[in-house]
This record gives sequence, structure tokens and C-alpha cells, in this order.
Amino acid sequence: MCGIIGYIGFRNAKEVGIDCLKRLEYRGYDSAGISVIDKIQQVYKEVGEIKELEKKLPDIKGNISINHTRWATTGGVTKENAHPHLSTNKKIAIVHNGIIENFRKLKEQLIAKGYKFTSQTDSEVLAHLIEDNYKGDLEKAVFNALKQVEGYYAIVVTSSDEPDKIVGARKDSPLVIGVGDNENFLASDIPAFLKYTNRVIYLNDGELCSLTDKDVKVFDSNNNVVERNEDIIKWDFKDAEKSGFPHFMLKEIFDQKDTVAYVLRGRISEIDRKIEFHEKVENLLKSELDFINIVACGTSYYAGLVGKYLIEKLTGISVVVDLASEYRYFGPKKENSFVILITQSGETLDTLAALKEAKASGCKTLVITNVIGSSATRLSDSYVLTQSGPEIGVAATKTFTAQVITLFLIGLKIAFNQNKIGFDEVSKNILELKELPKIVRDALEKSPTILEIAKQIKHAKSVFFIGRGINYPLALEGALKLKEISYIHAEGFAAGELKHGPFALLTETTPVVAIATKDSTYDKILANIGEVKARGPTVLAIADDADTEIEKHADLVLRYTSHSELLSCIPIIVILQLLAYHVANLNGCSIDKPRNLAKSVTVE
Amino acid sequence: MKAVILAAGEGKRLRPFTETMPKVMLPVANKPVLEHVLDALKNSGITEIILVVGYKKEVIMDYFKDYKEIKITYVVQDKQLGTAHALSKAENHINSSFIVIPGDNIIDRKSIAKLIQDTSEYCILIKEHPQPSKYGVVFIKDGKLKEIVEKPSEEIGRFISTGIYKLPKTIFKDIENFRLQGIYDLSSVIQNLIKQEKIINTILADSWMDIVYPWDLIHVNENMIRDVKSTIGGIIEKGVITKGDVLIGKETKIHSGCYIIGPVVIGEGCEIGPNACIFPSTTIGNNSIINPFTEIRNSVVMDDVHIGSNSFITHSIIARGTILRNHFSNIPGENTLEIEGEYKKVKNIGVMIGEDCTIESQVVAEPGIIIGRKCKIAPLKRLNKNIPSESKVM
Repeated sequence: MCGIIGYIGFRNAKEVGIDCLKRLEYRGYDSAGISVIDKIQQVYKEVGEIKELEKKLPDIKGNISINHTRWATTGGVTKENAHPHLSTNKKIAIVHNGIIENFRKLKEQLIAKGYKFTSQTDSEVLAHLIEDNYKGDLEKAVFNALKQVEGYYAIVVTSSDEPDKIVGARKDSPLVIGVGDNENFLASDIPAFLKYTNRVIYLNDGELCSLTDKDVKVFDSNNNVVERNEDIIKWDFKDAEKSGFPHFMLKEIFDQKDTVAYVLRGRISEIDRKIEFHEKVENLLKSELDFINIVACGTSYYAGLVGKYLIEKLTGISVVVDLASEYRYFGPKKENSFVILITQSGETLDTLAALKEAKASGCKTLVITNVIGSSATRLSDSYVLTQSGPEIGVAATKTFTAQVITLFLIGLKIAFNQNKIGFDEVSKNILELKELPKIVRDALEKSPTILEIAKQIKHAKSVFFIGRGINYPLALEGALKLKEISYIHAEGFAAGELKHGPFALLTETTPVVAIATKDSTYDKILANIGEVKARGPTVLAIADDADTEIEKHADLVLRYTSHSELLSCIPIIVILQLLAYHVANLNGCSIDKPRNLAKSVTVE
Repeated sequence: MKAVILAAGEGKRLRPFTETMPKVMLPVANKPVLEHVLDALKNSGITEIILVVGYKKEVIMDYFKDYKEIKITYVVQDKQLGTAHALSKAENHINSSFIVIPGDNIIDRKSIAKLIQDTSEYCILIKEHPQPSKYGVVFIKDGKLKEIVEKPSEEIGRFISTGIYKLPKTIFKDIENFRLQGIYDLSSVIQNLIKQEKIINTILADSWMDIVYPWDLIHVNENMIRDVKSTIGGIIEKGVITKGDVLIGKETKIHSGCYIIGPVVIGEGCEIGPNACIFPSTTIGNNSIINPFTEIRNSVVMDDVHIGSNSFITHSIIARGTILRNHFSNIPGENTLEIEGEYKKVKNIGVMIGEDCTIESQVVAEPGIIIGRKCKIAPLKRLNKNIPSESKVM
């Protein structure tokens, strides 16, 4: 998984390339490179973040460039393995995102023909393969070369023999065209070029495109020219700036006071007591449902686990949550069964593969995603957008809460369709949903208190998170947030399971975060806190503001204001996000770009 | 020409509304005051803006970032030590004559254009005002500024300083010199420049308003929505009557039987009615709900507000996230209000309710009552005195 950019136009291609590349840094950042055509291919690469590359770059003229930020998969993190890769005659340069599965075979064939390799990557094979197919026309050469390739890719190619042209192609990896005036762009993701243009053309799987500064041509998989309409992107470039916050993650945590309302926009109507989705979604939810499968990866998977509790509680229908990387190979996919897939980017490779498998088996598929026009929205039967705006921080925050709220709405709609709840119950739930911005604002105001508590946790080697019922997946998500940005080992457990094993790991220096909501298992969680306390650790409880009992049991208490049994999960998760953020920040961690992680995982 | 906007202040006299946002972000016709300022600057030909922020700066930066092709450079004043000190923060971004303008004033485009076109080195926008004594009163001779007297105790003149100037780059040196003498305020710096025989030209502003006290928001809103043009973005059911200019945002639904007389501005994602009446000059923010049989007049209702059925609201401000259950009503009238130690007699005023309050059914509020944020009021209460933030009335 990497980020790629192509630029052709009237501006300095080096400067535009680096500027765009910085906006793709979330996709990977262990090395970066650029090639600008100024008579010949001028290639510069560097290990480290993009700013390392920028420091080393001399002034280069030229109005055509390809650019790459890498997150290593095949071949170590070295300058040689960084992209762009040149062909043997140094005329053709490529950047690639994806994996070439048959690269060993192709490499042997090319070496036998006399081509010289300089890196260990699978990607380099593309450069030589295109040279091998080159007969004066770059588009044809790329088309013919890709016919021999197995695997998946998004590539951008230039040739110093044709310095007025950029060729791009994609299969299962993302690539979009940005259409400007007298300039055009190719990028893995829209925010890369949004500063320059908001007109985009989505490239479909198997398609190839050719860009000059004035003209965009798209070819289908049979190399015939196809007409494509431009889409206008409504969110602004400004949406992707930090606006005074020290990190994107903190900004995005604070964004939740608005995004919890955005996700409801156009979907709930208080006066009509109605929950509405697009027609396709409505039809799907109206159909006979007696079982739901939720499939996702990472944080989206935890959103799915929270969704399981919400939907089961509202509808009584059993829900099974699977990891996409497992489900795609091993999950039973019954015809006509209902599968909800959750992916923030809509490009997560494992989730897309699961989606394809589910569709092929005749399942009814619904995707929950944040990105309109993403592969997931185009492949699924129907989709619901989380409407949260771009999320830049690698650790998902606002999209998590939006995914949970979306699952809650889906649960409510199914419950209503199946006569499990009436108008009055729908109305009560809508009123509670409407109060979410206020409840989230209230949780955000706790940030200074949470910072103080974070100071007591920051030296811990390991932190436990416990909860029961819906609070169990929240404990898992709280632990995930903490470990992914602060690098402190953290585990979430179902509170009742502690005594069945995890107690062995518990020492006096292991802080325990206990989520204690006033539900039917409140007494049980108090008992669990007691068991923990008996072994000496500090207990931080998260409890509602009317709870007067909890102080007697826990050492530290953080409070949220919500009296809804189901929607209390939203302020609780905001508190857990802030806790993870403050601990990581106190420890000086690279919060928006944690080591070894990338935002959208487009490799298996 | 560049402009420096001073937007670092808190606006203590505007509490509780400024507890979570700086004064410049208070909504007028559903846009922050500062957005009106930016619009005026942009339309008068300013291309680059330096925004001095401080108190709750994230709220401003999150909302604006870069604004409609105008490049905004943010500089931070950490401690609010006076307007001259705030302006000095912009020094590194200024290389020739520039405009300085407070972010909490509403000013028209033409007055700014006149200021830009003026050829003198120093120039100030002034305005005639019915209550000059709460401002800097200015004395003028032959069109030149002779003296500024800040908040005089007696009524000594009728023209006041708007705080909007055109200044040369050398002002930063003057600010630095006077700072050493303990002067932190821009109008005192100007007063001292007059003593040094600098010529300061004056221009009369066409229209200028500022927001000092909470109730000013109602009047400024009333003035600003006069220019609104009818636009219907949402769904209007059959049987809704609108007269005059009514602006309705997208995804808002107006149910049957509503009667709306403009000028009225309604934001996005609202639900109104059936059978609700909204009279001039009312603004309703985004995602707000107005239930059946409720009447609202001459009021500012902000985002995420929920108003129950059979309520009556007039000459009032309801801040973000507040819930009024059924049968809320407020009595408009006259009251003497204490704000930060000053006593002010206010006529024709309703209730002013801060953010995130919950007011249960059948509550009545007397004239000029200010309710802080996050208050909880039990049913059947009569509110006859101010209630501080985070209180419960049982």
C-alpha cells in the first residue's frame, strides 16, 4: 500500500508533486521518490518521510512528474527499493501501488532478455516490461505489458520519448483522475489534488487512461476509448487542514460534535417519526431478514461488534461479526443472506475481496463507508455513507462513531419494519439521537481531566480495558486506540472473562480501565472492579454522571452524560479516544502517523 | 491591500454565549459575525487577510481555514493585552499600508472601499451613534481627527470611532514605542500620534453595528436579515404559506399549515411544524426542530435547538443544543440588567438562554432573564431572575 501521483500541466511539476504527495502521506511513509522529465528522467529517492526527500531535492524544471510514497511490502526499506523505478534504457519511469504476483517469473524472462534490475521490488518489473513492449506508443506499451501481469495494481508511467503524456491504469488498487484547466492529475486518493481541482473522473477496474495537459482519454479493458463524465467533489481542500489543533487525530476527535449530526442528516425525521435511507437500502432492509453478517477489518471491525449488540438488542435478530481477511476465505456465504461490510476508505483490500466473494455467492450486500465513488460503493448492492468528511489521522475516530450510529439506524429501521418497535419507540430513539451533539460536546469538555489521568497511565507497560455487554467491544476499541498510537501494550477483555485467564497477567502496575454503565450488569462490573482492586492495580472507571456509587470502588472516575442504554457507547468512545490521544501525546509519539501503520490498507 | 482582523477577544459581556466560542463566532443571520466582516472585506477588494486569534482560536480556524479564495494567515495573541498589542502580532505579515478592523463589527462593503481608496497615510472610519458614551467618542476639525475620548462618563459628542483604520507600516514602530510607556490600546496609540501632529483623515461609515451585550444580537440580526433574498432549499409541504423574503436551507422540512412571514432565515436540516408560525425577524440555525403550534417572533434560535409544541418565543435568543419542552413561553418587556458590574436598562427584551439547557414543560420566563449554559429547569417554573451556568432549578 502506497500513495502515487502523476502531474502534467503548466506548473513546476516537482513542487506540485511534493505538495500532493504530502497529502497522501497517510497511505505510507517509509520512503518516497519523484521523477520529473526535464529532457531526461530526473529521479530522486529518499528513505524516510516526504520532508526528507524534499530537503534533498535540487531545483528541477519540467512540467511532468510522477511521485510515490511507499509502505514496504516486497523488498526492504531502502533507497533502491523506493519508487519511481526506471527501465533499463532509463527512458521509462513508473510508480506502482499493489502487488505483482507473477513478478519472479517475469523478472527471470526479462533478465534473460538482457534487462538490468536494480531493486528487490516486484514493482520494478513493470518498468522493464513496458520498455520491452515499447514501439513508440506509451499507451499501447502499457496496455500490452499489463496483459502479462497477474496481481493488482495502480500504476502511473511516463516516457522521456513522449514528454507530453502520462499513462495510468488500475486493477483492484485505487486511482483517480483530477481534471484541471491546462493541467491534469492522477492520484491514489482525491485529497492529494483537491487544492488544485475538485473535478474528478473515477477510473474503473481494468481501465487505462492517458493524460496530456489539455486532454484526458480513458480506455476500457479492450483498449477502446470510453466516454467518462466528471464528478464534482463537494468537500473542500480546507476540510483536510488541522485548524489550530496540534494533530489531525485531536481535530477529528473534536469534529465528532458535528459528525454525529452529519450522519443523521436526511435520515431521521423527528416530526414524521421516520428513519429513511435511499431506496435500494430501504428495499434491502424490508426484505426478509433472520440473520445478519457484519464483515470488516481493524477499527471498523470493532464498530461492527458494537453494531452487533445494538442490532441484536433492537431487533432480536442474531448478528455474526467476521474479520474480512478471515471471512473471504472461510466464512460461510449463504445465498440471499444479508452481509453488511464496513470500510472507512471503501478501498480496504480485504473487505473488497470479502465483498466480491459475498456477491459471487448471491448474498445481499450493504456497504457502510465514508468515501463516495470508492470501489466498495460501486461493487455492492447498496451503500450508506457515513458523511463524516475526510479523515486524515491514521487512527480512526470520527468515522468509528459514524459507523456505529449508522448501524444503530439500520437496527432501528429493521426493528420497525419487523414490528419489534412502534412509532413511539422510534420517536424516543430519534430524540436521543438528536441529543448526541450535546452529549459529545460534554465528553469533549472533559479533555483537561482526561489529560490529568493520562499522566498517571503514561508509564504503564500494559493497560487492561474491561466491560460487559456493549461495553466489551468498546473496551476492545479503547485498547486498540491506545496501543496503535501510544505503543503501550493494551488489551480489551469481557469483564467476566478476567478470572478465566487474563488475571495471570495482572500486576500492581497494570492500570485497568473499567466501563461501568448503569445497565443490568452494573453490580457484576462493580464485583469485577473489586476483584481487580484486590490485586493492587489502579482502576479508572468510566461511568454516567448520575452514578454516586462508583467512587467507592474505583480510584479514578471519568463521567459522561447520557441516559440512553444503547447510545451511551458514543460518549464513552470519545472519552477512550481522548485517553489514548493524551497518553500518546505525553509520550511524544507520532500520533497522526504511527509506526508501521497506514490509513487505507490496500494490500492483503 | 491586506487587512488585519482582530478576533482574539473573549467578549465577557456576552456571556453565557461566549463561554464556548469567541465573540466573533456568534451567529447573525446564520453566519458568524466574522463571516460578515470577511464578506465585506472580500467584496471591497481585499485579497489577503491576517487574522489575529486567541480565545478559543480552534473554533475560528476550524470554521474558516481559507475563505472563498481569500488567503488567511492566522497569528495568535495568547494573552489579551489590548488592541495595539493584538495588532503588533501581525507585523511580520505587513509590508505596506493596510486596513485594521475588529472582527466583531458589522460593516458595509462601500465604507471599506472608501477607506481603501483614501490617499492619506492615516484614516479612520467614524459613525454617528445614539449612545456614544459606550464607545470612543471622536472630535473632528476640517475632516481630520482631533481627539478620541474612550468611554466618556458624560455625553460629549455624537460621533464615535468604529475602530476601523487604514494605517501605514510605521505604526508597528509607534506601537512598540508606546508599549514601553504602558500603552496597549490602539485608540490611545492614535491619540498620541495626533499629539505628535500626525494627520488622521476621517470617513463617515454608511452602516456599522457592533455587538457588545447579548441583546445586541437580536437587533443586529434584525438589521442583517433585511437584505436576505428568498431561497427555498428544503421540502415545503402543501399548505405552507410564506410571505416576504424567506430563506430555507437544504434538507429542511416545513410541514403543512406553517405560516412564515419574512424576513426569516432557516438553516439546514430543520423540521418545522405542522402549524407553526414564524414571524419577522427570526433566524433559526441548522438541525433545529420547531414542534406544532409554536410561534416565534424577532428571535435568534441557533443550531440543534428543540422547541416543543404550543410555545411562544419573542425578542429572545436560544443558544445551540437547548431543549425547550412543550408550552414554554416568554414575556417581552423592560428590565434593568447587570452585565459585568454595569447596569443597563433594556426595553422590549425577551429571554436569553445559553447552550445545552433543558427546560421542561410549562415554564414562563420574564423579560430580560439570562439563563447560563447547561442549566436544567423543572416543569411549571416561573423564571424571574438570572440563572448562572450549570444550575438546576428544581
